[in-house]
Amino acid sequence: MIGATVTVKELPGTGSSANTYGYYSVTLPAGHYQISAQFMGYAPQVQTVNLNQSQKIDFQLTEQVNELKEVVVSSQRKNENITKLQMGVQKLDTKDLKNIPVIFGEKDVLKTIQLLPGIKSAGEGSSGFNVRGGATDQNLILLDEATVYNASHLMGFFSVFNSDAIKDISVYKGNEPAEYGGRLSSVLDIKMNDGNDKKLGVSGGIGLISSRVTLEGPIVKDKGSFIISARRTYADLFAKLSKDSTINNARLYFYDFNVKANYRINNKNRIFLSGYFGRDVLGLSNTYGIHWGNSTATIRLNHLVSDRLFSNTSLIFSNYNYKINVNNGIEMNIISRIQDYSMKQDFQLYWGNNNTLRFGINSTLHKIIPGIITAISDVDLKSMTNKHAWENAIYISHQYGLSKKLSVEYGARFTTFSIMGPGKFYTYDSIADPRDTMTYKTGQFMRSYFNIEPRVSFNYILNDASSLKASYSRNVQNLHQLSNSTSGSPTDLWIPSSNNVKPEISDQVSLGYFRNFCDNQFEFFTEIYYKKLQNQIDYKTGAELNFNENVESQILFGKGRAYGLEMFLKKKYGRFNGWISYTLSRTERKFDGINNGNYYPARQDKTHDISIVGIYELNKHWTFSSTWVYNTGNAVTFPTAKYQIDGKTMMFYSNRNANRMPAYHRLDFGATWLVKKTKDFESSWTFSIYNAYGRDNAYMIRFRNNELDPTKTEAIQTTLFKFVPSFSYNFKF
Amino acid sequence: MKHPIIHLAIALLLICSFSSCEKVIDLKLDTSSPSIVIQGNVFDHDGPYKVHISKTVAFTEPNIFPPVTNAKVTISDNLGNSETLKESSPGIYISSALKGKSGVTYTLTVEAEGKTYTAVSTMPEPVSIDRIYIRKSEVGNGREVAFDFHDPAGIDNYYRVIEYINDSLKTGIYVGNDKLYPGKIITFALGSSSIKKDSVLQSGDRVRIQFECIDKGVYEYFRTTRGNSDQSTSPTNPTSNISNGALGYFSASTVRQDSIIYR
Repeated sequence: MIGATVTVKELPGTGSSANTYGYYSVTLPAGHYQISAQFMGYAPQVQTVNLNQSQKIDFQLTEQVNELKEVVVSSQRKNENITKLQMGVQKLDTKDLKNIPVIFGEKDVLKTIQLLPGIKSAGEGSSGFNVRGGATDQNLILLDEATVYNASHLMGFFSVFNSDAIKDISVYKGNEPAEYGGRLSSVLDIKMNDGNDKKLGVSGGIGLISSRVTLEGPIVKDKGSFIISARRTYADLFAKLSKDSTINNARLYFYDFNVKANYRINNKNRIFLSGYFGRDVLGLSNTYGIHWGNSTATIRLNHLVSDRLFSNTSLIFSNYNYKINVNNGIEMNIISRIQDYSMKQDFQLYWGNNNTLRFGINSTLHKIIPGIITAISDVDLKSMTNKHAWENAIYISHQYGLSKKLSVEYGARFTTFSIMGPGKFYTYDSIADPRDTMTYKTGQFMRSYFNIEPRVSFNYILNDASSLKASYSRNVQNLHQLSNSTSGSPTDLWIPSSNNVKPEISDQVSLGYFRNFCDNQFEFFTEIYYKKLQNQIDYKTGAELNFNENVESQILFGKGRAYGLEMFLKKKYGRFNGWISYTLSRTERKFDGINNGNYYPARQDKTHDISIVGIYELNKHWTFSSTWVYNTGNAVTFPTAKYQIDGKTMMFYSNRNANRMPAYHRLDFGATWLVKKTKDFESSWTFSIYNAYGRDNAYMIRFRNNELDPTKTEAIQTTLFKFVPSFSYNFKF
Repeated sequence: MKHPIIHLAIALLLICSFSSCEKVIDLKLDTSSPSIVIQGNVFDHDGPYKVHISKTVAFTEPNIFPPVTNAKVTISDNLGNSETLKESSPGIYISSALKGKSGVTYTLTVEAEGKTYTAVSTMPEPVSIDRIYIRKSEVGNGREVAFDFHDPAGIDNYYRVIEYINDSLKTGIYVGNDKLYPGKIITFALGSSSIKKDSVLQSGDRVRIQFECIDKGVYEYFRTTRGNSDQSTSPTNPTSNISNGALGYFSASTVRQDSIIYR
């Protein structure tokens, strides 16, 4: 249980919290102690120990049943947010995830994190998100340590994460610990469920457009467990009912599987296997089809080297690819793929209370086929030339309590990124024509980049209920996504740093004030941040991004800056809980040749962003929830004039992103009806309505001649979703 | 020969059509100072050829574009010929003796309001239409007008197609290249046939196609006009082959035409 706190009753202030593998370490003088373990939403457990030598104490926390929740009396260590060093991090409770309404009723991690401060939606119904002014490709999305390159199903209306298969979600907003790296803006670290090691169980849900089922149980009781989750949408089955054969011949679905198993070999060794496989299929009769999907696999070994030294070894594989097939007499295929083979070794050394050293190495081989277009029908992926890149990192970080009030974590990540042969590399002249071609052999290094990424954070505890935190971190990104759509398309292209593309670099400083009220019932924080970005990517006017061998010649490099204020107030306990989140921010870019080289707002710049979430438990059977969101519209470019060419009206554009989309706001409702809950069987219904007051939110604005009076032009707004109801039936036995 | 992204857009549209809706909105738009717009064409058939010169207007104004009069418009070629065009009506300049030829490079010079604008375009070799026909739509149930042509091997070719329905320009202008199918027979399907059963075409309509071979600069201009009127990406002005910041294009192209009655 990640982040569960362990405290010692006899020595207040002493304790620890479990690491990402549920492992903890506390150093105490010999004696008789009562040690308790707690985790929000779970019943605390206390064990009495007589300590005269090193001991291993395991806790099994169970989910609190409803009746108990009302009588929970706050005990120590509910102020974890105050005492913990880390800032700019947000954990999402999987229990909140269950209750918050989302579109189409499909519980969704990526939609729910967008309700937190500093994390903004990339568009209506989109699973893409922007963290502190970063682009959507500047988020590192990890599923059991494996990178997920495209987290969207069905054009982003769903995320690839099946919430039934997820145990823990953390988002680091740019100041992540040194063990993470590779993206500028954030790390979204998702851990899969381990499965129940006590008894076999089945759970699932049947919804309007998708169904899911999960099977979990022990491999060997108390020693190992497994979980298998599967999900499929059936929008295409509804499409079949349509009389229009264009629609009823359409293929439109996705499916995904999550599999995980773990086994405790002995007290010192535990092994985990986890995998994900998902596919999207979209097609119109036989003439057009697109398939895309991710697959990941992780093998992990936890090993206790000694009482104080914990080791984790992981072997990771990740794959994302898409294939577009067009067949209108002549066949055409477009193929793109990115593959990672990775090895990770982490150590945690518990020197003493509040004195921990973390260090490790990480090595990844990236193989990239960046969008190839071919007229051959059966393309052998093996025969295609990959771009090879080798990424290595060593990190070290030390967390230390300088005094009872002041603690510090400092460290650095040393990274190398090398682009290698075999392959051809080009240099370009000023008009983007290839100037030189260089051919490299297998394994030959073409270009390497070395970077040091320092990270430091401080926490000064003012008192039991408040603290001040500060941090600085540098992040480097060597894989860059080229996208010519806003909300993310499966055909977005990943390219590595190369002789033409330099690594992106960000430096972020942030300062935060954390305060709890009413005996930790309310949690409040405010953070300010300033971020400087180097080697940001944009495209030349009229850039041809797709299927262009010389795509690197179409890129412009520039600077960026982002700054903002985030506020968050959460009521954590009780029948009524929820939060208010507010972000005031600005994010700007500066490129030679765009807007005369002046700073201009990035597309994702949204001045105000507000989310209000409320969850109310009426009684044992009914829970109601509601969310309301408001944000300033994206920065966009509207025409400043029009003209005529070949009898057609054309739009004239001046400054990039000088205009705003209309403000976005929306209210959603959700309700959960727990029909039956016994030890052996549980069933519930969930209902939701998306955009309950039917706000016409602008998804897109187009400009055209009025159809009836062609001497006039007009602006047309497209709205995607209004009053979208949904329901689903969930069961567990 | 449609761009695959267009297919993706069609597919997306299908998904969204389940619940999306559209409406006309009022937007407060900025207005930039008027810019000059030049469109000039030289074809391989007999002249006169036209050069249109006009100005931009604010988005809120009616679609009446002020002509630029009294400009000095010259078209010269690399064989030493040069002709100054006459203003036949305000903003429209026409040639008299000039005759377009494949392989010849033409230079357009416009002197207007104290500024000089130039553009260069080379007329490619002609490609003829093999046949025009009506077939089942590649997407959906409708029928569509398509035509075949044989792409000459060994050189990069760029094409422009303009579709007229009953002699009025209806659905638009398309450009393409032979990158994927060099030296092959290429089929081009026209956009008038919608993806739904109800085509915009009525039985008895005459569909005429103007099929042009254009040079790379003109192809780039039309390629970069895609997405000119929506906000799905950051829209920009198309890459013009005319100097000094003028909008529009100058093209020397070969033209072949054919037509079919839609039934």
